[in-house]
Amino acid sequence: MVARIKKLRTGLLALCCLVSLGLGGELALAESAAPSYNYSYWGNAVAAPSAYQATTLITGASSGAGPFNNPQDIQVTADKQIYVLDSGNNRFVILDQDYKSVKTVDAFQFKGKAEKFNNPQGIYVTKQKEIYVADTGNKRIVHLDSDFKAVGIIEAPKSELLQANFEFQPVRVAVDKADRIYVMSAGVFDGFMEFGADGVFKSFIGANRVHVDAVEYFWKSISTKAQREQMVMYTPTEFTNLDINDEGFLYATNGDDYGDPIKKLNAQGADILRREGYYKPSGDLMYSTRSGGAPRLVDIDVSDSEIYAVLDASRGRVFTYNGDGYLLYIFGGIGNRMGEFNTPVAIEHSGDDILVLDQALGEITVFQTTEYGRTLNSAVRSYYNGDEEMASQEFSKVVNLNANMEYAYAGIGKAYLRQGEYKESAEYFERSMDRTNYSKAFLLYRKEVLRGHFSTIMTALIALVALWLGLRMYRKMKARKKVELH
Amino acid sequence: MNREALQHPLYVMVHPFNGYWDLKYERSQKTSLIISFGILFMLILTNVLGNQYSGFLVNMNNPRYLNSLLEAVYVLVPVLFWCVANWSLTTLMDGEGKFTEIFITTCFALVPIVLINFPWIWISNFISAQESSFYYFFKNFAILWSGLLLYVGIMTVHQFSPSKTIGTILLTLLAMAFMAFLTLLFFSLVQQMIAFVSTIYQEIVLRR
Repeated sequence: MVARIKKLRTGLLALCCLVSLGLGGELALAESAAPSYNYSYWGNAVAAPSAYQATTLITGASSGAGPFNNPQDIQVTADKQIYVLDSGNNRFVILDQDYKSVKTVDAFQFKGKAEKFNNPQGIYVTKQKEIYVADTGNKRIVHLDSDFKAVGIIEAPKSELLQANFEFQPVRVAVDKADRIYVMSAGVFDGFMEFGADGVFKSFIGANRVHVDAVEYFWKSISTKAQREQMVMYTPTEFTNLDINDEGFLYATNGDDYGDPIKKLNAQGADILRREGYYKPSGDLMYSTRSGGAPRLVDIDVSDSEIYAVLDASRGRVFTYNGDGYLLYIFGGIGNRMGEFNTPVAIEHSGDDILVLDQALGEITVFQTTEYGRTLNSAVRSYYNGDEEMASQEFSKVVNLNANMEYAYAGIGKAYLRQGEYKESAEYFERSMDRTNYSKAFLLYRKEVLRGHFSTIMTALIALVALWLGLRMYRKMKARKKVELH
Repeated sequence: MNREALQHPLYVMVHPFNGYWDLKYERSQKTSLIISFGILFMLILTNVLGNQYSGFLVNMNNPRYLNSLLEAVYVLVPVLFWCVANWSLTTLMDGEGKFTEIFITTCFALVPIVLINFPWIWISNFISAQESSFYYFFKNFAILWSGLLLYVGIMTVHQFSPSKTIGTILLTLLAMAFMAFLTLLFFSLVQQMIAFVSTIYQEIVLRR
């Protein structure tokens, strides 16, 4: 009986232990559950710590400017003032660092007349705080100075490059340091419209390429002219947004399913985006048609050190890449919780923070870096600035926080390579699946080993050859002796 | 099985005409058959080891999806398909080879692939990206050599003329494609039938 009770007790104890173990396991799991993900070299989605977390929600009411109605664009200046283009209310609102409204502009004076905006879609603020508004409803670009007085207005341009029935519907605008104005106009397939500082239309730049389906091409080639006119025309994909960096390069997104959805255009309109990463920058790699199909990139934001972030409207995610095209981190999503969106339309950075504008909800979500995000950003910046030593230290921290971050291993490997630690360097490059750099490091390591052990290797080789020759002679002599004996 | 029998695959490699002649008319078929299976096994082993241990620079396989059994299938199925297709064709085309002879010929032709690829598994760990062209050169060289051996072997085993051999080989490839198609069709039909029966069973069970 006692034994039985004892047995029961131990059984109970074991059960309790098991249950508590299970509970503990679950808790630990909840803590380490993947809040974010990244894509590995093999293209699998792997867990990653979140690099950014939502901290603040800015609404029109919370800023004191009255509710936003269908806002379309935001712009942040270097001193962290936020310009919100409140399209539905035909105005733009300027928020200060504490996200409070400091100024609302809904009208301006031009040539002695009071003018208003009509459903403006895009806004750009230069370093001198001059404001360019794509006043879509009025088919013009309004250029205001820092005191909100109209300096100039660009109306529909007249040029032999344009067709007679051309309609000027500017939706996004960006301005470079030389005050050249780049305009994305709806229904234009030829790229961005470039205007000089004086507001005169110059040319189109950076048209997307046409993708031709082989089957369709065949049918088109055998059909008559009348039939061809009935068919769908091949047109290049339109751009969806643009941004400009300090060096004057345009960063653009488009809805291209086949080509490159992200482009970096130089002054000639050539795409010079570096695509050295594990796969070319294009948002999500794996997706189902049920969750919205291919990524639909609607905005791009380029910050310092060539780091750029794109916004995928179909799943509400933000993808951040470095200048080489390596995917750094992913955050956001569609949903109702903090840090998720309904219809995200615009993304901007304010220092290290990232702001995402939601059109239907009329609110801006402010994301701030976590420790992981901060470390990764600083590692990428140090590497960009050529400080490989610092970058390696930061990348080591990144690896401690996220062992799945393959790109970080390459950063460590590069520092080792510079220090002459070729073996370690090669090991880190192998972890990073960086074959080119691995080969470099390995070649140096091999040379080092061969040089270091040259005498040993040569001695062993000569000894082996001598041994072999001796053995052969010995055998021959033996054979001769046998012959002699017989 | 003596030493000479074990050395014969190497002799065939460098003297294909004499080697295959000996194989058909002089050698014991049982010994050759055992050696053939040995060669196939070594080829499978080479492929498995190659996938796992080749140098980082030339090994593009995702280690997560390596499957040694599948590697065996990738060797055995093509060889079997080739032998069956070739035998079916050559019996109609006055070929003198029996099925066993065709199988032995095919296996002996695979020796260069084993002999060249096996050392390269280890050498590839000590090469740089520039030197990897040697690796790929030797891999292709091995395949070409094997192809040549196969050609000579088929020619000898059936006592064909060179041009007829080429025609037979092309037809054999076509027949292999047919066989693959038929096999897939068969599997797909069987699957459909099983699905049909199981659906009916489910229907009956759930109706009750």
